[in-house]
Amino acid sequence: MNNPLLTVNNLKLHFPVKSGLFHRTRLYNRAVDGVNLQVQSGETLGLVGESGCGKTSLGRCIARLYNPTSGEIHFDGQEISHLTAKAMLPIRQDIQMIFQDPMESLNARHTVGDILEEPLIIHKTGNQASRRQRVRSLLDIVGLPTRSISRYPFEFSGGQRQRIGIARAIAMNPKLIICDEPVSALDVSIQSQILNLLIELQQEFGLSYLFIAHDLAVVKHVSDRIAIMYLGKIIEEGPSDLIYAQAMHPYTESLINAIPIPDPHRKPERAIISGDVPSPINPPTGCRFHPRCPKQFGPCGGTEPATRMLPGQHQVSCHLTELQDAS
Amino acid sequence: MTNLLEICDLVTEFETDEGLVRAVDEVSFEVKPGCTLGLVGESGCGKSVTALSIMQLLPNPAGKIVSGKIFFQGLELTQLPIQEMENLRGNEIGMVFQEPMTALNPVQTIGRQLTEVLYLHTDHNETSAIQAALAMLEKVGIPSPEIRMSEYPHQLSGGMRQRALIAIALVCNPTLLIADEPTTALDVTIQAQILDLIENLQQQLGMAVLMITHDLGVIAETCQDVVVMYAGKVVEKGSVFDVFDHPTHPYTRGLLKSIPRLDSRAKSKLDAIDGMVPGLLDLPPGCRFQNRCPHKTPECESTSPSIETVSPGHQVSCLNWKDL
Repeated sequence: MNNPLLTVNNLKLHFPVKSGLFHRTRLYNRAVDGVNLQVQSGETLGLVGESGCGKTSLGRCIARLYNPTSGEIHFDGQEISHLTAKAMLPIRQDIQMIFQDPMESLNARHTVGDILEEPLIIHKTGNQASRRQRVRSLLDIVGLPTRSISRYPFEFSGGQRQRIGIARAIAMNPKLIICDEPVSALDVSIQSQILNLLIELQQEFGLSYLFIAHDLAVVKHVSDRIAIMYLGKIIEEGPSDLIYAQAMHPYTESLINAIPIPDPHRKPERAIISGDVPSPINPPTGCRFHPRCPKQFGPCGGTEPATRMLPGQHQVSCHLTELQDAS
Repeated sequence: MTNLLEICDLVTEFETDEGLVRAVDEVSFEVKPGCTLGLVGESGCGKSVTALSIMQLLPNPAGKIVSGKIFFQGLELTQLPIQEMENLRGNEIGMVFQEPMTALNPVQTIGRQLTEVLYLHTDHNETSAIQAALAMLEKVGIPSPEIRMSEYPHQLSGGMRQRALIAIALVCNPTLLIADEPTTALDVTIQAQILDLIENLQQQLGMAVLMITHDLGVIAETCQDVVVMYAGKVVEKGSVFDVFDHPTHPYTRGLLKSIPRLDSRAKSKLDAIDGMVPGLLDLPPGCRFQNRCPHKTPECESTSPSIETVSPGHQVSCLNWKDL
């Protein structure tokens, strides 16, 4: 396989938690705690997990909106995890983000034209006329009328605002787009329009996506490979079909089982996992999932499971698979 | 079987700066005792306003029930004096809201909010009210209820808060529970826990549930009957089997086709419904779905469809349903 576009090695992001009279840092929120992943050129890696698992922090860390605590981020042959803001600027063209709530991520006081032109100005692309031309073609690409150019974000519906966010992300012809819950704020009938648009754009411009979401059905639909995250760690990763057909980690299994299926004939015999996601400030010892795991046994509480390679580019971190290997 | 709740031609309007908005327009449906009815639709379709109309909790003076009747156990709720409505609310009819953090009072303990309902509607004294509250917290699966009783909402996780809210709604053994997007703010594994909890409690207590959601998966798993709403109108209703197996309205069909499924081919094009919901201020004459409908005929622009029966119990509001 050729060199991946993005390689993340043992990435950690710890937020200090300050407390007490002198506001001293006593604890760390281990939002991202040793993540390894790769995104190949032109593919979509889906990143799934519950709220608080660190998926958004990981995405923002890769885009260098947060500075990682340690670890490496190799993007397009360059190590970018500790580049200065100035050295990072040319690379920012190639890594763009789409956010969950387009109302919050678009400047309410700028017109759509200004919003879309801004990245072109920052990266000193063309003259005013050619930039305006580019803005018009961007609107056309994402399916908005040209007259939108002089309108403000509040004049648009949620789905249209997300289209503006997408247009802004593709303005500089990026290589990688980090989509952070791009459809979870949208209605069902609009959600499918946006997913179709993202898939079309990928095919047309050869984009790579890191697609962060909590909805597994959505992630399955758009992704080539899927990584499941739990409490700052990736616990299973593999081709999306394989993840669904042969989930190896009990957490992945329970996530898949928990999805309500829109078919009244399939009354599920759900194995519901109990409890909540523990705090990343003080994660459980051993396997982080073991307090909720229906299949936990001897070693789970004591030692952290190693990541094991299974056939078909499938990786999992679970003591159960080690046990199966041994027998 | 007599119906527990019967809504007949309910019309609810809101006074806004831009004009009068008819959020619910001639909506009719029935909830049978002990059964679960799902109310499904996209944001702005009027499903929450319908629930607030039943509870007589519309924002005052902006929102008003203009016409129509709501019968609950034979009582006509729209004409009921406030005092009698207050006796029903929280007692015979419980309600669970979407965002438990905003529905719970942040400066009162869980225990106080739970016993308040009991003091209001029952003749419990302090000791027996606390006993009943503890039993209810235990029933909704909150671990160590004695400690939780004296805690504040912010000390609980999202799932626990929703359980506390359910406990408050159910502590007086209501015959009807209105659940307005009870799991939308929750993670999937927590959603599964809460849906399971509501179903178990329903079987134990024999109450009926009006489940309001935008998630067709939740409807298919929890409901016997379903009402599909679009822009303030009912477009289709029937049993879940009728509606999911033989969707008749183009909107219902579009919705069912547009959701990504686990067994769909990756990166295939989804059958999206084009366009978007019309604003309630400038609704087109005729059918409200016409601008997005793939089967639109000239008649749709002028004539409002009425409710027609497809099969016993399965109704649709579309002029052309027979030809689709």
